[in-house]
Amino acid sequence: MPILEFSSVTMTYGRGRAKTEALRDVSFTVPEGAFSVLVGPSGAGKSTLLKLVLAMERPQEGTIQVADRDIHRLRKHSIPYLRRNVGAVFQDFKLLPDATALENVSLALQVLGLPRREVRARASKALEQVELEPGTKRSVSRMSGGEQQRVAIARALSGEPAILLADEPTGNLDPRLSREILEVLARINRNGTTVMLATHDPIVREAGVITHELGLEAGRLVSDSLADIDPLHAVDLEEDTNPVLNGGVPVGAVA
Amino acid sequence: MRDWPNTFRAAGYVVSRAFRGMAQAPMVQLLAVATTAVCMLLLGTVMLAWTNAQGVAGAWGIDVPVTVYIHDDAPTDEIEELAGLLEAIPEVTSVERVSPQDAMTRLAEGLGGEASMLEGIEPGVLPSSLEVHLEDGTSSGFISALGEKVSGFGVVEDVAVAGSWTDQAQEMLRTVGNMALGAASLVGFACMAIVWSTIRLAVYARRSEIQILRLVGGSTQFVRGPFIVEGIVQGALGAALALTLLYAGFDTVRPFLEDGLSLLFAAGTLRFFTPTELAIGVAFGALVGLLGSRAAAGRYVVT
Repeated sequence: MPILEFSSVTMTYGRGRAKTEALRDVSFTVPEGAFSVLVGPSGAGKSTLLKLVLAMERPQEGTIQVADRDIHRLRKHSIPYLRRNVGAVFQDFKLLPDATALENVSLALQVLGLPRREVRARASKALEQVELEPGTKRSVSRMSGGEQQRVAIARALSGEPAILLADEPTGNLDPRLSREILEVLARINRNGTTVMLATHDPIVREAGVITHELGLEAGRLVSDSLADIDPLHAVDLEEDTNPVLNGGVPVGAVA
Repeated sequence: MRDWPNTFRAAGYVVSRAFRGMAQAPMVQLLAVATTAVCMLLLGTVMLAWTNAQGVAGAWGIDVPVTVYIHDDAPTDEIEELAGLLEAIPEVTSVERVSPQDAMTRLAEGLGGEASMLEGIEPGVLPSSLEVHLEDGTSSGFISALGEKVSGFGVVEDVAVAGSWTDQAQEMLRTVGNMALGAASLVGFACMAIVWSTIRLAVYARRSEIQILRLVGGSTQFVRGPFIVEGIVQGALGAALALTLLYAGFDTVRPFLEDGLSLLFAAGTLRFFTPTELAIGVAFGALVGLLGSRAAAGRYVVT
């Protein structure tokens, strides 16, 4: 069953001569439990695609479904409720620098109106999932890039989203920290959460955790390939790369 | 169906975040409250002048167009019959019965600190009367004709009809009233502008937090709420501070003003705002703060 479905989605920015086509007639599905990756050069439309899933942008044409919900015709006041079901991690982390890890994660739970005790318990659990100490009094500005990205992942996870999106999550990190973050994401995926990354970091493809790869070029989907592995038993990062995804296969090759 | 416990808890987070946000920039908050207070002080002064001008006018009788003085020995049923006839006239809004005791009480109130002058004087020296209140805009011709007609009744000793001088006094009161209204509008806009600019600064300073809240699914109310609360608090505090300063100033100048008024108009009692009026003043400040902050946060803090 797909957790995410794009059907003939076209998205343009600007009008008239300034009109830029970010995505053109893009269709694909992401199966539930997949570790999906969006690859392509800068400007291929990866970030736009993630923005569409978060309803930060609206497509001019086509339909988008997230967990059986038509988001292309979502009313404005319903957008926050969609975002509570879609966790998002960004390259620049988007954290409150002066707040602690626990406070940053708690913010995502406070919007749900949960009792303080539950907010604290769930935020602590999410931090433990990414192997961070919930009780630390350090502000996130005093943490390393890898730790900050873990906090961002914990925040995205804390609301138990149907899908976790990550836009270039390793973009600001060195190779060692990038592998650490990928390991965290792989573990989250093995626990049943669908993960979708946008990246052009080769480490991600080499890590062997990907079960689904989408290739974008100049706003068009050029490849869509599924790995023939059970996502819940995806190979560990320490092991060798996933041989199924060497370059992907052309669009339409996957039924 | 709305989940009320969660909604209340979310409201609690909104209020606590508002106060945390205010604590992050205390000087900006103080400045906003002080500037709002200065504006509100201007409005409060005009409103207080208007309220007391009305009081003085009332004590002096210029707000009553026709006063019918009754003979001491007039039978009650005839007085009531006359009052009933007057009340039946469409232009008459009310007819107030004023006994000699009532008249004496009013006079004593009007004299304020000089009321001791009335010691030993019996209320009976003052006549009972009927005060006839008319609809606004009733012509002076109608008022004169009514006065003439009423003076023909046997129970009537004399009729006092408001003359051109009372028209002028009424006009003056209306002018002060319009000034108060104008000041209220101007001050309202000025306060809104102050709150608007402060909240815009706060929105700018906390833009990262706003963006994050939007991305993690904060509703528009949740994201905008703290700024609205901040605006309401600024407006209410500004109004409360202005009313406190106004009271202090009023209390200082009151004895001098009352002495002057009792000499000039035989109406020397001034009053400050009632608790209800004070509450309305603070609520007005809060409303202005709400509108200003909503305008500032509205465009920038949407999902």
